[in-house]
Amino acid sequence: MSEHKSTKSIESRPPKACGWMAEFTNEHDLLDAARKVRDAGYTKTDAFTPFPVHGIDHALGIKPTILPFIVLCAGLTGLCTALVMQFWMNGVDYKYIISGKPFGITPASIPVSFELTILFSAFTSVFGMLALNGLPKFSNPIFTNPKFDRATNDRFFLYVDSTDKYYNRDSVRELLSSVHPTSLDEVMEDNSSVHMPKAIWLGALLLVLAGLIPAAIVLNMRASDSDLPRWHVFFDMDFQPKKKPQQSTTIFADGRAMRPAVPGTISRGQLEEQDPFYLGHDPLKMSLADYRKAVFVSATDQDPADATKPAEEAKPAAQDAAAAPAASAPVNPPAVVGDGGTAPKYAWVDKLPIEVTEEHMQIGKTKYETYCSSCHGYSGFGDGLVAKRAASLLQDTWTPPTSLHADRVQKQPVGQIFHTISKGQGKMASYASSLSAKERWAVVLYVKALQRSRNANIEDVPVEQRSSLTPSVSGASESTGATVK
Amino acid sequence: MSLKYDPKSIQLPERWKSLTPILVALGVILVAVGFAFSLFAGGGAENSSEATMKFFAHSYLANFMFVMSIALGALFFILVQFVARAGWSTSVRRIAELLMQTIPFLAVVFAPIIIMLFANMDSLYEWNRPDRVHSSVIKAKIDVGYLTKEWFTLRAILYFTLWSAMGWWFFKRSREQDESGDIGPSLARQKWAGPCIMIFALSVSFAAFDWVMSIDADWFSTIFGVYIFAAGMMAFFATMILISMSLQRAGKVRELITTEHFHDMGKFMFGFIMFWSYIAFSQLLLYWYGNIPEETNWYLVRLNDGWQYLAYGLIPLHFAIPFLGTISRHVRRHRAGLAFWAVWVLVVHWLDMTFLVMPNAGPFNFMPMVGHFVGGLGMLMVFLAFFLAKASVTPLVPMRDPRLPEALTYANPLL
Amino acid sequence: MATIASSYNPREIDNTEDIPGRRAPLVTGNQTYSSVTEMVCRVAEDPQPKLWWLLFGFSSLTATMFLTLIAFLIYKGVGIWGNMNPVFWAWPIVNFVFWVGIGHAGTLISAILFLFRQNWRTSINRAAEAMTIFAVICAGIYPGIHVGRAWLAFWLLPYPSLNLWMWPQFRSPLLWDVFAVGTYASTSLVFWYMGMIPDIATYRDRSKTPFRRMIYSILCLGWTGSSRHWLVYEKAYTLLAALAAPLVLSVHTVVSFDFAVSQLPGWHTTIFPPYFVAGAIFSGFAMVVTLLVPMRKIYKLENLITLRHLDNMNKIILATGSLVGLAYGTEFFMAWYSQNQYESFTFINRAFGPYWWAYWIMVTCNVISPQLFWFKWFRRNLVAMWIVSIFVNIGMWFERFVITVTSLSRDFLPASWGYFRPTMFDGLMFFGSFGVFMTLFLLFCRFLPTIAISEVKGTIAAAEHAEHAEAELLGHSHGEDHGHGNAHGHGH
Repeated sequence: MSEHKSTKSIESRPPKACGWMAEFTNEHDLLDAARKVRDAGYTKTDAFTPFPVHGIDHALGIKPTILPFIVLCAGLTGLCTALVMQFWMNGVDYKYIISGKPFGITPASIPVSFELTILFSAFTSVFGMLALNGLPKFSNPIFTNPKFDRATNDRFFLYVDSTDKYYNRDSVRELLSSVHPTSLDEVMEDNSSVHMPKAIWLGALLLVLAGLIPAAIVLNMRASDSDLPRWHVFFDMDFQPKKKPQQSTTIFADGRAMRPAVPGTISRGQLEEQDPFYLGHDPLKMSLADYRKAVFVSATDQDPADATKPAEEAKPAAQDAAAAPAASAPVNPPAVVGDGGTAPKYAWVDKLPIEVTEEHMQIGKTKYETYCSSCHGYSGFGDGLVAKRAASLLQDTWTPPTSLHADRVQKQPVGQIFHTISKGQGKMASYASSLSAKERWAVVLYVKALQRSRNANIEDVPVEQRSSLTPSVSGASESTGATVK
Repeated sequence: MSLKYDPKSIQLPERWKSLTPILVALGVILVAVGFAFSLFAGGGAENSSEATMKFFAHSYLANFMFVMSIALGALFFILVQFVARAGWSTSVRRIAELLMQTIPFLAVVFAPIIIMLFANMDSLYEWNRPDRVHSSVIKAKIDVGYLTKEWFTLRAILYFTLWSAMGWWFFKRSREQDESGDIGPSLARQKWAGPCIMIFALSVSFAAFDWVMSIDADWFSTIFGVYIFAAGMMAFFATMILISMSLQRAGKVRELITTEHFHDMGKFMFGFIMFWSYIAFSQLLLYWYGNIPEETNWYLVRLNDGWQYLAYGLIPLHFAIPFLGTISRHVRRHRAGLAFWAVWVLVVHWLDMTFLVMPNAGPFNFMPMVGHFVGGLGMLMVFLAFFLAKASVTPLVPMRDPRLPEALTYANPLL
Repeated sequence: MATIASSYNPREIDNTEDIPGRRAPLVTGNQTYSSVTEMVCRVAEDPQPKLWWLLFGFSSLTATMFLTLIAFLIYKGVGIWGNMNPVFWAWPIVNFVFWVGIGHAGTLISAILFLFRQNWRTSINRAAEAMTIFAVICAGIYPGIHVGRAWLAFWLLPYPSLNLWMWPQFRSPLLWDVFAVGTYASTSLVFWYMGMIPDIATYRDRSKTPFRRMIYSILCLGWTGSSRHWLVYEKAYTLLAALAAPLVLSVHTVVSFDFAVSQLPGWHTTIFPPYFVAGAIFSGFAMVVTLLVPMRKIYKLENLITLRHLDNMNKIILATGSLVGLAYGTEFFMAWYSQNQYESFTFINRAFGPYWWAYWIMVTCNVISPQLFWFKWFRRNLVAMWIVSIFVNIGMWFERFVITVTSLSRDFLPASWGYFRPTMFDGLMFFGSFGVFMTLFLLFCRFLPTIAISEVKGTIAAAEHAEHAEAELLGHSHGEDHGHGNAHGHGH
């Protein structure tokens, strides 16, 4: 290419001289020469070497670079960018809870901050180096001399530029020849054409235009409406060979894609749905109509009265209210509801399915006092601390808890009490998640004991324990519940 | 082919030679004063004497680890110089060799901890009294026979024997070369340094698990050995920088330890500040992110009861400030600047060891901590006394090491 | 020209013995500056040997297969892999970690060894850096195609989106990976490229054809070798080295966080960061040995990449292999020491469970095979070291397999335990990634300077300078002093 350039330059005008360049075979000679040139006062000098020669900066008087400082600033910028970005994106603009981690800057922000610090600094080192060195620069007077090709191989060149304020063509040549270079040449200006060939311009233009095509397509698609259905690239992702609920099929005779369960199937959890121990009533003893209603109730967890409301309007609800003046009992004894036809007639379990032992009684007492007594009170009169406080604050939205000694409750079979604990009633929530079935039965046992303690007489107490009770029998109130048995 | 030199310039200053007994005495007194502080100001709990003992035992261990980790850093430095065939370090290597030679003495300093175990005390290691342990995990560790006083003692003896033996052997070869100037001792050390590093890595890891990690016997972290190692290396370079500077101020080894050496030691100190931060952060991040109660408990203790100021303080003190302080080559080549940061690093290393050990002794309390600090000073004095005792009878530079010319002529081209 | 002639017919010269006090030469055969240029440039200027064409043909076919399979994967979905419940992360992440690990040697050699003034790195750093970039490319492919909808992989980047109205989740280690691997890939690339600029200039100045000259002129950005440029260049190189050293540690640290921040026994352990880094260096060096042993033979570079270079790399393999072994041991010990039944189960399951074979392949290849390097003979025998390096590559792949698959296949809930079996696509795609890697590496050998010419020359000059300075110190001559007076004149 250099020959090419020089032939071209002849056509235009004679090249101007840019300075002198001396060639050396080793770095020691170069260093000696450089010192001489420096001592002679020249500053527009340079050396060209195949590898960095140490000590040349002193020999030529080159100042240290400010690159490290620029890189430090870039690193700090990267750090701040990362911290602000993470704080804003995950702490302000798009708060997204993930594994309970706090928003904003946490230890989890450090890795990205570190990486961006390095990224900014590293790119600044490289591009800062290029910028400080004025690279890329493809045209350079020194390239006009073919000898210079060895500057990247095994030769060392010392150059004095003609723009130096002490520059004098002859004295520089004299100085440089006094250090015995292998060769000494005058560097000529590279005056080859500065215009790029038209073909390159055209090629670049075409490339840029071609590069715009995909962007244009994307923009067009974003901006325009279309009636055409979308183009399915991933066919088996868009149309998967599967059936959704309630769809039809030709595979089965009944035309339904959803298959009914095979007779006799007991799915997970269903076993308990049949067992009086977990229900408080025996579904197998119910009439079919009641059974269906009961299944509906347990499946929807909906008050059967509410469920039938739209059909029967407000009448049953009014009936309920009439039948149960205590606002705490919207669902009423089966006898009452049954004739309305709104709720299933349960076949309540009337015998405790757990044994009546001291152990069960203790469980029942503990659980009752933990979960029930806050509202129902320790002795079951519906005078728990919560109820008392609500009453003293005159909370008009407060529904007083039912007294367990109310006649209605007294008459309830054990299964129904169990059912109330399991499903909740009125304001009372379900305790099925807090108490196991066995524990609920134990609470039922305890409630029954509490009820009985209200109407007990001395005959109910075992003979051997009667004497110990005598003094307090008449005054027995709240605390006797557990001992009376 | 050997250097001409003034033998006096590689001797310990005469004044320093007599310091050993004074320093030992002073050190012991200071440790005792520290104990007295925790005796009068410590405790506060209902069982005062037990709480005091607990505080003092922890303080003793923290201060012991403070100097022990420096000695271990010196041992590793020696080993790695031979593995890497390093030349630059030859002129400062003897200082590291002397620091490494303190390990057998430090075994004596460790002895009270063993005695405490055999006195059936659980002031430091709760696993030493199985009858008082509630945690089923610790009970299991005792039952499998790992955390028992006999086995613990045996392991401690093993570690000290291995380290002392390696140190002794490397030191002996080095002294041999002082006499003969042969390359034989260098070759022998190069040959054995590799296997020794393996032994070192294994034993330091386990020593860290045993001595420091097991004060919280519920807790475990596989990186813990590396943490202690990183902290120790950093403190070791600071110590070596300070000793070299003190010797030069006393008019010794002036031409032998050059700015280039300080520059390099400064770089290593800087590197290990970063390495410590890397290890400490890795452990924190993994336990913070995993958020498993038995793992976060260790941090919970250190982020409560006044210790949180120390824990959060370590981030700027142990990382950010010294990192920025020593990042510039101009600081590393500047004596006063480097000395300042070396002192800084030693102090934060002590804080780091305090952070590792002391929160297990109870809530932060100012007056006993003063005692802890005084005890730390005492321990450092005892450590220096051991160093001086060895240095009094040893030349401070291996003048006939064949790599010394390289150490004296090299230059840091960049950075 | 005698030296150049001798460099054409190199002999294996054992320069591994480093007698204290006299540094062994880093390059053999009395190299001059021009003979170094000649030897390196010849690689790209001479016609490529038949073996090159053979390898290139084979690996480009393999690479094509890989690209085809990626297209098929995107079309069909990740179901063609063997990934299953509970082993959701299977070969793709194993391959990703494997390749990223290999990609650690290059930057380590060019950055960390540079900071430690290990001049022997100059002969091998260029090829190692190239290898790094190609390995990171292979690594980057896997997470990209594993995301399921590969065409939306750019959602990983925090860009202001008008459709999504949301940002990536910065508390997720997988996003840290995006930043770490992205930073690493781009920084390694500019580091590699910047290192090549002076050498491409050498290629330019030796070009015989205008076209070649033009291409290399553009690539070297008009480098002249000016001392003013060198000064800034060296500063920038040093800064990059100082930045790349922690970066290289951070990358595999972040990869280890992908695993370790979870609560899975066998993954959640604090030793993971340094252990992964050691493993990465280990596998990277093994790959460098695997590539350089044949390369120096094919291109007759034995005088530049000498036995000493290989010996040093083998020592690093030994050291890092032992560190990895230490980490295995520590994990096992801690599983027992912690008395945590899940931890204990995981490790016993690794060694004796259904994947016992993978575990013992890993231990044999990673811990036992490098122990052979304690013996000089193995460190200096080309065939032996090549075989060991292959073993290490295999072992390190299995290490990632063991970590990923054994831990995942044994869930906390025994009902969901499973046994992972790879499909044909897993195997072929892993094999195909080697095709991409080798194709790129062969192209690199063909067109770019495989050895850092200017750095090797600098090393030769520095060795000469050091020898001179030491001789002067010892009083053999009293020549001119070049500014190292501080070491002078003790005694008198």
